[in-house]
Amino acid sequence: MFKFPQSGRERSAAVLVGIGLALAPAAFPSLSPALAPLPAVQAQQSSKPVLRISAIPDQQPEKLNRLYGLVANELSKQLGVKVQYVPVTNYAAAVSAFRTGNLDLVWFGGLTGVQARLQKPGAKVLAQRDIDASFHTIFIANAKSGLKPVTNVQGLSQLKGKRFTFGSESSTSGRLMPQYFLGQAGVKPSQFAGGAPGFSGSHDATIALVQSGAYEAGAVNEQVWRSSLHNGKANRSKVMAIWKTPGYPDYHWIAQPDLDKRFGKGFTNRIQQAILSWRPSNPEQKQILSLFGAQQFTSAKASAYGRIEQVGRQIGQIR
Amino acid sequence: MKPAAPLLLLLPALVLLPLLVLLPTLVHGGGWDLIGQFLLAAVQPSTDPVVLESLVRGLGITAGMALLGWCASLLIGIAAGLASSRLLWRTLIGHSWPAEWIRRLLAIPRSIHELIWGLLLLQVTGLQPVIAVIAIAIPYGALVARVVSDLLESLNERNLQALMAAGCAPPAALLSAMGPPLLPGLISYGGYRLECALRSATLLGVFGLGGLGNELLLTLQSLQFHELWSGLWLLLAVMLSLEAVIGALRRRWGMPGRFSLRAVGVGRQGRELLLAALLLVPLVFGVGRALAIEPAALLHWQALPPLAPAGWQEALALPWPGLVFNTVLLTLLAAALAVGVAPLLLLLVAPWPWGQRLLQLIWAIGRLWPPPLTALLLLFVLKPGVITAALALGFHNLGILGRLLLEGSEAAGPQRQEALRCGGCGPRLALLYGRFSGLARSYLAYGAYRADVILRETVVVGLVAGTGLGSQLNQSLSAFAFDQLLLLLAAYAALTLLGEDLSDRARQRLLQP
Repeated sequence: MFKFPQSGRERSAAVLVGIGLALAPAAFPSLSPALAPLPAVQAQQSSKPVLRISAIPDQQPEKLNRLYGLVANELSKQLGVKVQYVPVTNYAAAVSAFRTGNLDLVWFGGLTGVQARLQKPGAKVLAQRDIDASFHTIFIANAKSGLKPVTNVQGLSQLKGKRFTFGSESSTSGRLMPQYFLGQAGVKPSQFAGGAPGFSGSHDATIALVQSGAYEAGAVNEQVWRSSLHNGKANRSKVMAIWKTPGYPDYHWIAQPDLDKRFGKGFTNRIQQAILSWRPSNPEQKQILSLFGAQQFTSAKASAYGRIEQVGRQIGQIR
Repeated sequence: MKPAAPLLLLLPALVLLPLLVLLPTLVHGGGWDLIGQFLLAAVQPSTDPVVLESLVRGLGITAGMALLGWCASLLIGIAAGLASSRLLWRTLIGHSWPAEWIRRLLAIPRSIHELIWGLLLLQVTGLQPVIAVIAIAIPYGALVARVVSDLLESLNERNLQALMAAGCAPPAALLSAMGPPLLPGLISYGGYRLECALRSATLLGVFGLGGLGNELLLTLQSLQFHELWSGLWLLLAVMLSLEAVIGALRRRWGMPGRFSLRAVGVGRQGRELLLAALLLVPLVFGVGRALAIEPAALLHWQALPPLAPAGWQEALALPWPGLVFNTVLLTLLAAALAVGVAPLLLLLVAPWPWGQRLLQLIWAIGRLWPPPLTALLLLFVLKPGVITAALALGFHNLGILGRLLLEGSEAAGPQRQEALRCGGCGPRLALLYGRFSGLARSYLAYGAYRADVILRETVVVGLVAGTGLGSQLNQSLSAFAFDQLLLLLAAYAALTLLGEDLSDRARQRLLQP
């Protein structure tokens, strides 16, 4: 059966290889001294509650890391509790983690926020940016597609039979509202070329794919479209805006219903006041606001998102 | 009529003919500048310390998840593999029907992609690090189980029958007759699963654990190619060194190639093996602690959100035939591409010494790039559709199958090929008849396993393929339509079962000439 190594040299070689095998995959965890503390679990274990914040992933990653590091610091300073950022890469995962109580304060989009509140009754809408009360989607088209800028929603009917892409499935500005306006123009998703629209996964990808011609048209968040034009990622000779939607409410901060119980009376209110107090005059707060692309946050009401819920039900994203 | 073995190997490559005809109609070519930017970024990866720090931390988490998921999948796989072995049941109770049933049942966990497993578990247990590990362990465990039971079936039963005839008790006879010959194949395949686990752990990033997949996905979505390449280079270094270590250990311990089913004696270095296994135990616990893995968290179930009343009718009204047809087409195209193109390319470059090196490099890239990345790059120059998605999936799996074929042909030894060369054969014919013909059956049998994996992977390129089960699954997940999800997963399971049945028959014909 097993033939054991006889000589001392063979034996020590055997030991070395064994150790090597065992440690090879582990060498990498040990490289990182601060192996990610696991926010979700840690908070439940420690006696002092930790405020776990998160955001739907629709920003550049280095921006996400910087932005939410800053937000966590600022909130921690103002509220006097430990604040931890939990990265989540999937819209549906962010909603589910909020429902299961693993995230306390989340920066949601319009649709995901409504989904989260429906799945977690009692969750509170805290604040939105100044630009979120009336947010817009831009329909864009490839310059060679033959599509023309239009002045009203009916003009979208020219998109029938074209290759068309949305952003992420759960995006309000990249999917929900554009699909709603397309419906008003009489365009069903099955009427696009190929029998279905694409889902590029992000606003940046939508712009790149329409610009390259993979899709003839697409729908993007106005904020991302503007910054792409500004930084040259969108080339005006290849991709153009054809229609801007009317305004609708979008991104907002939502908090768990039980924060007052866990952190002390009036805590939810204190979070809201803290976020609303951020001003460009404070250097750290100025950084946060500029990364959010806002002048300041304003208070938001759940009722403002009634229309989003209605559209979500109509389209089947809320059931 | 059966085609000759060497031709059998090249048969799947016939898929290239229709593809080459259709490809020109798909080219739009508007995004060459973006491809250029992507390639240029390869030589200028971001060195921003913020980016690098989070990448290295992510890599640590990913490697840890891969290790834990791999260990768990081996434990599950060996147990379930033995339980689904016809030989075992026949020896123990005289019937093999429990094995058949367990085999069928195992198709369900295997048919669902690890990413979907993760999202499903998230629904009931909440955001827990342990679900990342379990998400890998469940489908991988079921896959290992299938391989273990197939390995057992393919072993020679003479020893077992001899022991039984001599009056040995069935369990003892099984252990002594089948254990040692099973070990080399098992260890070789187990090592390979670790490589796969690293690739899967990279795709999983949704669990609040972070991880390299998180960074790669976000940099990809925002087209930050410089940051993306920092992550890809890091992953390449880890991937290649892991493959090198595993390959060296396999050679050292005298393992056969991973899809070779011939019986080879137990590895000479039994003690090393034992020692390595013992060292794994504290390591696994250490990593588990560092990642705050808590298996107990799996027991705290939370209720699902309520279902919509009319949901079932809506779910049944989905365009099922079209969804299934497109998914099957995508799987077959991608599998044929991956299986057929690998030997074809090796033959093409056979006369040139640098050719094989070049192929190895391209295949490493195929393994490195997650299929969604390849799909996005292809979309910069091709129109979306099933073929574009098949190319993306095919390229990734070509990287995996190509490496296996190369390894297998190295293990097969050069004698026959050299004899043919000396006899005046050209380099391509010598390679085809000297090396590949002996490998053809086991390589194709392995390709059938891979088709299973490709079916699961149609989920991650679903968005490129237009309509299909994959894109519908993503769509239903985003709407939290659990009724639709259930039916979609059932469709995946049914397709996997069907595919397995077909590939079982094909295997039996292939492996028993």
